[in-house]
Amino acid sequence: MKDRDPEAKPASTPMRGSFSRRKALKTLGGAGLAVSAAPFIVRRAFADSAQPMGPGGIPLARPDHPVTLPMYEDPLKAGMAPETGGDFVVYVYADYIDKGLVNEFCKTHGVNMQLTTYDSQDEAITKQATHAVRPDVVNITPDRLAQGVAGKLIKPINHSYIPNLAANVWEGLQSPFYDVGSQYTVPYTVYKTGIGWRADKIKEDIAKLENPWSIFWNAKEYTGYVGVLDDARESLVMAMLYRQFYDINTEDPAEIDKALADLKALIPICNPKINITEYQTLATKQSWLHESWSGDLLGAYVNYLPAGDDGSALRFWAAPKGKGPIQNDCWAVSASTTKPVLAHMFLNYILDQDVAFNNFSKFTGYQPPQKSMTADALIAKGIVPETLRTAVMGPEDVGAGCLQECTLTSTGQKLWQSAYAKFNSGT
Amino acid sequence: MTEIALKARHSAPPTALRRFRDWLANPWGRPRFLVLVTWLYILTSIAPVIIAIQFSFNSGRSVTAWQGFSLSRWYWGDPVDSVWHDPTLQQALFQSLKLAGLDMLVATPLGVILALGLARWRGRLAAPANFLMLFPLVTPELVMGVSLYLVILYLFTFIHPSTLAQMLGHVTFSLSYVVVIVRGRLFSIGRQYEEAAADLGATPWETLRLVLLPLLLPAILSSLMIVFAISIDDFVISQWLSCGAQCDTVPIRIYSATRAAPLPSVNALAAIMVYFTVTALGLTYLVYRFMTRHERPKGGGAAASMMGDIGGM
Amino acid sequence: MYPKWLWPIFALPGVVWLILLFLTPFYAVVGVAFGGVDPIFQNPLPAWNPLDWDFTSFLDTLSGFLPGRTYWGIFLRTAEYVGIALAISLIVGYPVAYYITRHSGRAKSLLLALLILPFWVSYLMRMLAWVNLFAPEGYVNAFLRWTTLVTTPPDWLNGNPVSVILGLAYGYIPYLILPLLASLDRIDKSLLEAARDLGASPFRAFLHVTLPLSKTGILGASVIIALPMFGDYYTPNIVSGSPKTSMLGNQIEIYFHGGPQPSVGAALTLILSAFLGVLMAYYMFTVAKAQREAQA
Repeated sequence: MKDRDPEAKPASTPMRGSFSRRKALKTLGGAGLAVSAAPFIVRRAFADSAQPMGPGGIPLARPDHPVTLPMYEDPLKAGMAPETGGDFVVYVYADYIDKGLVNEFCKTHGVNMQLTTYDSQDEAITKQATHAVRPDVVNITPDRLAQGVAGKLIKPINHSYIPNLAANVWEGLQSPFYDVGSQYTVPYTVYKTGIGWRADKIKEDIAKLENPWSIFWNAKEYTGYVGVLDDARESLVMAMLYRQFYDINTEDPAEIDKALADLKALIPICNPKINITEYQTLATKQSWLHESWSGDLLGAYVNYLPAGDDGSALRFWAAPKGKGPIQNDCWAVSASTTKPVLAHMFLNYILDQDVAFNNFSKFTGYQPPQKSMTADALIAKGIVPETLRTAVMGPEDVGAGCLQECTLTSTGQKLWQSAYAKFNSGT
Repeated sequence: MTEIALKARHSAPPTALRRFRDWLANPWGRPRFLVLVTWLYILTSIAPVIIAIQFSFNSGRSVTAWQGFSLSRWYWGDPVDSVWHDPTLQQALFQSLKLAGLDMLVATPLGVILALGLARWRGRLAAPANFLMLFPLVTPELVMGVSLYLVILYLFTFIHPSTLAQMLGHVTFSLSYVVVIVRGRLFSIGRQYEEAAADLGATPWETLRLVLLPLLLPAILSSLMIVFAISIDDFVISQWLSCGAQCDTVPIRIYSATRAAPLPSVNALAAIMVYFTVTALGLTYLVYRFMTRHERPKGGGAAASMMGDIGGM
Repeated sequence: MYPKWLWPIFALPGVVWLILLFLTPFYAVVGVAFGGVDPIFQNPLPAWNPLDWDFTSFLDTLSGFLPGRTYWGIFLRTAEYVGIALAISLIVGYPVAYYITRHSGRAKSLLLALLILPFWVSYLMRMLAWVNLFAPEGYVNAFLRWTTLVTTPPDWLNGNPVSVILGLAYGYIPYLILPLLASLDRIDKSLLEAARDLGASPFRAFLHVTLPLSKTGILGASVIIALPMFGDYYTPNIVSGSPKTSMLGNQIEIYFHGGPQPSVGAALTLILSAFLGVLMAYYMFTVAKAQREAQA
């Protein structure tokens, strides 16, 4: 079922809320791949036999187990001229990229822009697999890459068309663990999961606590104003991090049950609400303490503050690298494209400094991994206040040693989903 | 109570509270308790809606604190968030009206002939067919939404989640309402007019066209109205069969906004729907009055007879 | 005067429509509940042939409804909310419906119009209005503070069951009153007059004549709102957001959000439908019995 919630506003507003995207970010962890016995072609033997396997024999990537995706065809030859004329189809989450920027690209190259949207990765994969949609470029998340590659939905890329990748993108994401060598993808946005709160309502300085996550379990006086993310992975991971358990891709029923018990303990303590609307409710004081994504605090600051509130009360804390989850998503060239050169140039265009900056500051609020967009630069430009410096990510946050919620096997997925459903039932 | 005591009690001019208490205790009038409950109920059921509409005229961004009157800000004034300028709100409005229109267009004729068929069919399969028709009335919308969603994704895969799918869902649950209303009217008409027409030499087709159909027109009108209202109101089925932002209806938009931090523009959007519905209702009532001007039961009023038709449930 | 085949032909399109778009979807739910899951795409693989049905997952889910197991608590809670909301609706709705039937003429029309008005306003809009009123700075709390009865008004929307139950009652009462009104209207007034003539006080006449006669009406109206209320998931989401007040519909929603267990969601839907079917059967049985007694 697609639970729709687009708080979309016209592009003329600074920073539209990409709410359907946030809802879909939920399913990031939920969209799992099962251990497959499907007759896909290549089966590669990997030294690490403990590595969980995905479709096509492609192992499920983990930050400490990087995966080089198999190449089923050669990437595009270098030095070819861009195609022109006709439609250029961009397949992306609703409200997740500035239409104006895409339009500009299309006009420059004499093609017709066609922005087709989806509400979840499930939908995107299914529609591409059944050829209901034949995009030129597609926005895809790392946990779907194995499906995309094994199912021949995306094509390998030639970096000679995408100089901005090496020039502008953080070192740590130039050859990510889920796609060693960036053979298929370029990164789009990064965000981390942490705690968002209002300093004018919460008296504790959460960042200075020994175990910041413990604030939730001591939030009795804030009952009714506390929130947990409406996501099977994020909510249980929060309980795991509270106990300083860092194997967040675990499929051990005992660990999951422990996390569930901790989460359930929250209900009599502070009766948390379960939603992903903290980018609005933190701004309007309906919520005081919420498990949040970093992009949401930035979005709240720029877009949702009511009149008379300068946003100085908003705060964000996330754990240092390896102790708190980060996530990112990507763009890829679709296998069904008839304009491969132009598709490569689009990927390059998105990684352009100014384009990425405008897209972030005026539209999505989700930070692109651009070298030029440091916390200092953003604060100097006035996009981000000093109090929200912690919501901005840096290159040191990604790369080896980071914690990321990755794909699970089907059994693992079922465990997480059932545990989350139990938490949701409040019994 | 003795006379002296009575006199003592009534010596001072009665206060408002006392007069109210006396009115309440009057044993000869209509049961005061019932009057009280009824008016309290009517007040508490309409007042919130009136207040919500009031806030659509709020000059500030709050939906709980009145900040002054502004006729147009949220309807067409605000260059970014008003209904006129926000394409998503407009989209929702048009989608709701589009679905309601399609629903009326398809469900009403289908329902009318279904009603006729079910009411007069004397075969063995008539009872199960009747049963089938009644089922959607008591099925929870969630069950209908889930089942339609699954059937569209895994059986009727040529239908994608889209406006078409939403329309199909709306018609499915609207059919029962149309049948019940038209059937009620059929029973109150009786067979006399058709028999008279047959006696006077009309063919079955002419009887249907020239006698039955005009007599059914008030019920058809009521059905159109009811179908419009329930289609506008529908949330669950529209949500499950939605294709994304383009297929969202007004209730879906209201739902999303209410869960987060709503602006008065949402109140304005909902208020616009109320204006549409009330106008349509008023028009229907007037047309109904006109059509049944010869049949009105003594002192009953058109509303009551419309109620009678609807109450055939 | 009409050919015999005319009426079945008239009924045909509607019946075919309902079979295709009402019965067949039920079968799709059955197929998904007893079917498998695609190992690659995690989509349900419905089992259309009854011989292919696999009951293990379904029985697992069903066993979750036993006392003390997974779904027992939420099922009880849903039944509790529906029961209390229904009781409140009847306590408020019956007097209102009864009062209106005692009128006739213009007053009746006016009252009917006022009564039907909320019915025409979208449910979601009424919930929006409700939430705005009960917000911490909303009119209700402002009123409470003004009357100085309460210095710190309660936070209605912080996720407590009372708000959800009241919200349910508020939302569904109009759907109760209409059919109740229709059936109360049909009670023969002369019976009431006869009772009064025979010396019964108004209250006793009500208790011994009107109330028994309205039993099927009450039952019918209750069924009309209780059954849909069982599947309600949006009212708790709007009025509260907390897991403490979630209902069975919320659980079903979770399993269809994408993920590896759509068959569990389908199984829950089936179990809910079966339970409601039992209630519905009880209602029809009672109505049939009452009709037989009335004719006898």
